[in-house]
Amino acid sequence: MKRSATPYLFLSPYLAVFALFWAWPILESLLLSFQNTRVFPPVWNLSVNWGRILGDAAFWDALRNTVLILVIQVPIMLALATVLAVALNSQLLRARGFFRFAFFAPVVVGAVAYSAVFRLLFNQNGAVNAALGLDLNWIFDPVGAMAVIITTLTWRWTGYNAIIILAGLQSIPKDIYEAAEIDGASPWQQFWRITVPSLRPVLLFCLVLSIIGTLQLFTEPWLITNGGPGTATTTLGVYLYRQGFQNINFGYASTIAYAITLLALVFSIIQLRLFGRES
Amino acid sequence: MKRLLVLGAALALSVASAQMQGNPNLRGEITVWSWDIAAKALEANIPGFNKLFPNVKVTVLDIGNQATYDRGLAGCAAGGGDLPDVYSIENNEAEVFWARFPNCFTDMNTLQPAASTLRNQFPAFKWTELTVGNKVFAMPWDSGPVVMFYRRDIYSQAGVNPATIRTWDDFIAAGRRIAQATNNRVKVGVIANGQDDEWFRMLANQNGCFYFNNEANAVTVNQPGCVTALETVKKLIDAGVVMQGGWNEQIQAFKAGTVATSMFGAWYEGTIRSNAPDQSGKWGVYPMPASRAGGVRAANLGGSALAIPASSRNKEAAWAFVRYALGTTEGQVTMLKEFGLVPSLLAATRDPYVAQPQPYWGNQRIWQVILGTLGNVPAARGTQFFQEARAIMVKTQADYVAGRFPNAKAALDAAAQQISQATGLPIAR
Repeated sequence: MKRSATPYLFLSPYLAVFALFWAWPILESLLLSFQNTRVFPPVWNLSVNWGRILGDAAFWDALRNTVLILVIQVPIMLALATVLAVALNSQLLRARGFFRFAFFAPVVVGAVAYSAVFRLLFNQNGAVNAALGLDLNWIFDPVGAMAVIITTLTWRWTGYNAIIILAGLQSIPKDIYEAAEIDGASPWQQFWRITVPSLRPVLLFCLVLSIIGTLQLFTEPWLITNGGPGTATTTLGVYLYRQGFQNINFGYASTIAYAITLLALVFSIIQLRLFGRES
Repeated sequence: MKRLLVLGAALALSVASAQMQGNPNLRGEITVWSWDIAAKALEANIPGFNKLFPNVKVTVLDIGNQATYDRGLAGCAAGGGDLPDVYSIENNEAEVFWARFPNCFTDMNTLQPAASTLRNQFPAFKWTELTVGNKVFAMPWDSGPVVMFYRRDIYSQAGVNPATIRTWDDFIAAGRRIAQATNNRVKVGVIANGQDDEWFRMLANQNGCFYFNNEANAVTVNQPGCVTALETVKKLIDAGVVMQGGWNEQIQAFKAGTVATSMFGAWYEGTIRSNAPDQSGKWGVYPMPASRAGGVRAANLGGSALAIPASSRNKEAAWAFVRYALGTTEGQVTMLKEFGLVPSLLAATRDPYVAQPQPYWGNQRIWQVILGTLGNVPAARGTQFFQEARAIMVKTQADYVAGRFPNAKAALDAAAQQISQATGLPIAR
């Protein structure tokens, strides 16, 4: 056997799995997006799906909802996660291991289970209304339903991001803080002048992950509000699913998938341009 | 003359009870997928079926409405794997299967006896969505003639006589009187707005209008019948006589006695009876009001069918079960009695049970009232684009009710535009 073949031989199991379960579907869905799949058998039609998506009011609705969640939920969550990470890193805190686990725990809980719990909490006769003294029908009100989705997402992912940021905090050399203290910097100044700038690569990483996660958001709106009322919480992921698996239009669903991919690409490039100059 | 009468009586008798020959030599096991009450109804037919076919073992799996659709779709998309021998499908959703996966289900005309020999035993409109060219992919099961279920005690407390409610304006007036008499505690009905557009569909169907024409080649949702239907929905909501809510809210409301009427396909009978057993004797039914005096007072909502996947290894046994459950009076009346599924088999609609007074419904002969409307239901076709059109219409109705369109025509013009764009079908002139 030639020596140059050896590495490929070792790689071949992975390459086979990659080709079958990643490369082929990616290619196949690109091809599907150029076919009319509303007829049997599907026929080539370069414009039927791509021509539809730009003028599709329901697609723009889904995009608007997704971007709304993005601009409200992601900044709130990352700010909370940063504050939480600093608190969890504090020398003053006892039982740190316990608290780190407690805030990370939501990620371990099954989506179906906590979605059912949030539906109950925000029921018209639920605990949230009882605690706040309100009589709001959260799930069936467009604004209320969106608030529930954002609350759920924040509950689930804040601890996860906090753990990543915590790892970033621990990699900041202690002597920088010591030097700052000798120079008379207050803890507040240390946070803004040392902690936040040092965390930039980690925060950027969390931001990119969160944005891509939000663009694909499906589970929570599907299980809690089913995309409603009307289309008030229909995200791109929910709209894709409806097209693919309820209307059985795989061609158009693939087109939406590629549109999401293009959006993720654009967002990532913008972020790298804005925040990633040095790294 | 006497001879003719005898002949006529004999004919009537042969139609009056559709029966079936048993066959102890037919062997095998079959699995049936269905949901909720429909699954229980099919299960109730197993003992009767086994009297005729003792060597066929039937297993009914209640896997839920959405899961039945989703798993059937996944099975068909995968080329016909993991499917049962008998598959339940809603008429409205059926055509998407035949259009996208024409090889996934058995053409029932290739079975013995061919489905075409059963054609006259069902109303013609039930076959439309189940037939493609000369292929028949499913057998009609139940239908959903729309009717008003009302609380006798609340109506009479408010001095409203349901016999005088002939138009939607009468219905609104009745709603005002009920509100007055109950200190605004009781609404006259529940309308889903934002979750569903079922009221719009029922009213449009009544006016001879639907999302698409019956040839399934054009969008008709902005035609006059639909415009009137949407206007009526808003009029009802604006008058403040109805509450808004989905399926679960409606059940909660009638259990709590805060709603005096439910309008639905007649299959809702079982839902009311099983959810509010303590209200026995307090309920009754009357035909839906018309959009104008003397107009049509009938519509259809829902109804299902049974299909046999092409992958079934026991098609003969599956076909025997389908024909017993849906094609015999005995099978259909069992499902009507126990679960309120309205038979579409014509012979079953003439069964003596239909004429019996029902204690829960204040001894009213409700099945006569309900089945009496069946002949007046204008035909409407779900087409393979039903779900897409519905999603657009749910939003259009909610936006129109919220005042985001100057009038119903403008709202439906916009909806027609979107449906046309989503389906590739032209808007009818």
